[in-house]
Amino acid sequence: MPSKKTQIQKQLVAYSFIAPNFIGFAVFTLVPIVFAVALAFLHWDGSNPITWAGLSNFTDLLDDDQFKAALKNTIVYTLGTVPLTLISSLFLAVVLNQGVKGRNFFRTVSFFPYVASLVAVAAVWNMIFNPSKGPVNLFLYKLGFENVPGWAADKHWAMITIILFSVWKYMGYYMIIYLAGLQGINPELYEAANLDGTNAWQRFIYVTVPQLRPATFFVMVMLTIQCFKVYDIVYMVTQGGPGTATLVLVYDIYNKAFVSWNLGSASAVAMVLFFLVLTVTLIQFRGEKNMR
Amino acid sequence: MQITSKQTKTNTVILYALLFFCALIMLVPFAWMLSASVKLDKDVFGFPIKWIPDDIRWENYQEIWTTIPLLQFIKNTAKLTIIVTFLQLLTSSFAAYAFAKLQFKGRNLLFLGYIATIAMPWHVYMVPQFIMMRYFHLNNTHLSIIFLQAFSAFGVFLMKQFYEGVPDELCEAARIDGMNEYRIWAQIMLPLSKPALSTLTIFTFVNTWNDFLGPLLYLTKMELKTVQIGLRMFISQYSSEYGLIMAASVVSLIPVIIVFLALQKFFVQGVATAGLKG
Amino acid sequence: MRVSKKVISIVLILSLVVCSLFAAGTKEATPAAATGVTTLKWALWDIASTTYYEPLIKAYEAANPNVKIEMLDLGSADFMTMLQTQLSGGDSSIDVVTIKDIPGYNNLIKKNLLLNLNDKIKSEGVDTSLYGGTTDQISVDGNLYGIPFRSDFWIVYYNKALFDKAGVAYPTNDMTFAEYDDLARKMTSGKGADKVYGAHYHTWRSAVQLFGILDGKNTIVDGSYAFLKPYYEMVLAEQKDGIVQDYATLKTSSTHYSGVFYNNSVAMMNMGSWFIATLINQIDQGKADSKEWGLVKYPHAEGVPAGSTLGTITSLGVSNASKQKDAAFDFVKFVTGPTGAEIIAKTGTIPAIKTDEVIKIIASKPGFPTDAASSEALQVAKTYLEMPLHEKAAEIEVVLNQVHDEIMTNNIGIDAGLAKMSEQVQKILSK
Repeated sequence: MPSKKTQIQKQLVAYSFIAPNFIGFAVFTLVPIVFAVALAFLHWDGSNPITWAGLSNFTDLLDDDQFKAALKNTIVYTLGTVPLTLISSLFLAVVLNQGVKGRNFFRTVSFFPYVASLVAVAAVWNMIFNPSKGPVNLFLYKLGFENVPGWAADKHWAMITIILFSVWKYMGYYMIIYLAGLQGINPELYEAANLDGTNAWQRFIYVTVPQLRPATFFVMVMLTIQCFKVYDIVYMVTQGGPGTATLVLVYDIYNKAFVSWNLGSASAVAMVLFFLVLTVTLIQFRGEKNMR
Repeated sequence: MQITSKQTKTNTVILYALLFFCALIMLVPFAWMLSASVKLDKDVFGFPIKWIPDDIRWENYQEIWTTIPLLQFIKNTAKLTIIVTFLQLLTSSFAAYAFAKLQFKGRNLLFLGYIATIAMPWHVYMVPQFIMMRYFHLNNTHLSIIFLQAFSAFGVFLMKQFYEGVPDELCEAARIDGMNEYRIWAQIMLPLSKPALSTLTIFTFVNTWNDFLGPLLYLTKMELKTVQIGLRMFISQYSSEYGLIMAASVVSLIPVIIVFLALQKFFVQGVATAGLKG
Repeated sequence: MRVSKKVISIVLILSLVVCSLFAAGTKEATPAAATGVTTLKWALWDIASTTYYEPLIKAYEAANPNVKIEMLDLGSADFMTMLQTQLSGGDSSIDVVTIKDIPGYNNLIKKNLLLNLNDKIKSEGVDTSLYGGTTDQISVDGNLYGIPFRSDFWIVYYNKALFDKAGVAYPTNDMTFAEYDDLARKMTSGKGADKVYGAHYHTWRSAVQLFGILDGKNTIVDGSYAFLKPYYEMVLAEQKDGIVQDYATLKTSSTHYSGVFYNNSVAMMNMGSWFIATLINQIDQGKADSKEWGLVKYPHAEGVPAGSTLGTITSLGVSNASKQKDAAFDFVKFVTGPTGAEIIAKTGTIPAIKTDEVIKIIASKPGFPTDAASSEALQVAKTYLEMPLHEKAAEIEVVLNQVHDEIMTNNIGIDAGLAKMSEQVQKILSK
């Protein structure tokens, strides 16, 4: 039975490991976050004295057109981006895993969208998808389509444009996760499946996909959080427009915090966002546990 | 594999075509960036897209150094990035070891607290954080950016996932041999975690190098500013010098690519093993 | 041929070396000015591309040797946001504040961040009548928190060479909107890369929406926007007929208004007077092809005299938390006064004090068009502020921008759009 003294000593050692990171984290990040959470129940504009708001910041949201549009758009965006990115990155990884030549080259290239400066990349994307002059629509015209999509300038297509852009940007990064996951699959499993006389598709469904479950889980959690927090991409590509077609929650938070300087209201929206993310993440965790 | 050789040939062709297409869509924006970086501002957004301009303006690459103090900005960004990356690697792996391998009170709660903060968008606590930094007189110092970026929850999360994949028996054996926890971390865990460390290096490097909002807010003195701020300086109230922005973007991309190429080998293994072992 | 990773790294490192060779002729970042007796910090934007900061500071420091002015560049894109963030929580490091737009100005007042200048104006004998009534437009209950030092107003730029080539008479200083539209249609010609557009509207809503307030009958914060209908109709028709480039294309291609003018692809363009200095400068540097150009006054509605236009003012204020308020106000008084105005005018920018002297200085700057009509275009009868001072200006602007975006991209009909605008703004006004 370890003595009380060694128990305490062990705890202290453990805390000493955490201390460097945690102290910095607590002081510079955790404290402001706690304050921001408190702000959801207060009125503050950054300069005048703080006053109590109770739940009024939240109840005001029920009648807030900007917030409602942002909530709907963020959910649509997440529902669109997560599956598409997942599938395309998985597909890319499977293809690259076939022992193709120049695999390293393709791997490096697919990482470029992630590391590139967003300013430059968004400008290019908008040029390529320019509704009247961009190569994409000109190509569609040639194919005979009369009504080409308005892409970023059309309220029905703007969100699709953002989703496509996001998939393009994230695809390479998550592909690498899947690629590595694929390399970790025991080849004996494939041999066994072969002996059973399965075709490539069946092997994919019954061997590859189940073996990749841990990877898929990681991808889904990180992607979901990333999607709920999207802002930079929307800011660069459509500025939340046309109208409010691509206004997302963090964009609304920015408007409330730095245009109207209603910091309490901004925090309230942030709390809604946070609980959404928490709920979805917990559901995913639960789902993963059940599948084991 | 019981496939006919003809099928293999068609499969391979399709495969390569697909890959080529994907590589193309990944690279087209870069081609455009390069092409735009040698054009006059008024020609950058011209249609139809002229991939090779009629007269190539190499002067753009000269002007970016004289219009804004770009060299100073790059020095600042490099300094910040290297310090932040180093601190991140050190403190994250240190803390992650405890979360993964040691038992202590409040372990799960603390970890949950870390993860929960990832879900918070930065704009929400930007103002309280700024006021606090200013109170500590950290405004307009590079230290402010370092403190903001070096202690992230993400780093701890990533390293912890990786460490969980290391067998407990290794640590147990070391303990029986009389090693204290610090030595275990330094001599066993750290060497084993090269892949994860490389991964974290790349992430932190890219994030800090491309960070815009932090430096914009905290570094208002000209001699402290970073490359991303420099890029925006080409967009003034009344004109946007996109030719110069693209040239400067190309230049600022080079260090990132170098780091990525250098760490690529470790990186892929690292990303894989983080959080994938069931 | 396989290119090994080593080779690629070497190439990259070499290119870095080459770049740093270029950088040998680098611009040194100047460290903060050494503290003399009093150092005033001035929050502003675009140090690199603004020509009047240096002369103003030099002149003031020469006349006041124990004062040093230190510039703080917060960037132009989000200047007011950055400024308010820097000032939040009681910051005292900034003394002189440049006020970029009205909604931001309004926010600063609401947050008690600006010094009430009434007392100083009286005690220092500042003559507010010099500012042509603009100080009244930015007073709140008779209290003034900023003094204008720059004013810009909207005019029409036109490309003389294109008009000569088409054999069409130049625009005049007295055009109605109908005449402007006609002229634009006459001047549109060609296809593809050779196309000349009769006019050009930049993607800011003020380029289109604010035609409607020029008859003085309505303001943009009224909450009822049916009066904008004829103007949107005119512009959308021009878009549809290819007289102007369409908003959607411009917005997604980040096209800057300057580029299309430099390229000789637009015949006329309505834009602010700040563009004069930039245009002259770019032609001088050989970066613009539109060497023959002129100015005329903004078009006017039927029955309204010519010379009414939109305007924006840039003002200077003193931070309420500054520890050197007296010294700061003295500098503000200098920049916004007649001496400052002349220095600003000499750089081709239009100061807030628009006397005949000042107009003459601007019109005689090398590169400014030499015809009489162009200097006459600088005489403005009445200026309407782009965004009037209003408590909810910032929030209203968000709605105005969103709906303008929708109307111009044809995502909503004009009537439905204006109704939506009215409804949403009224909601904001009634809160």
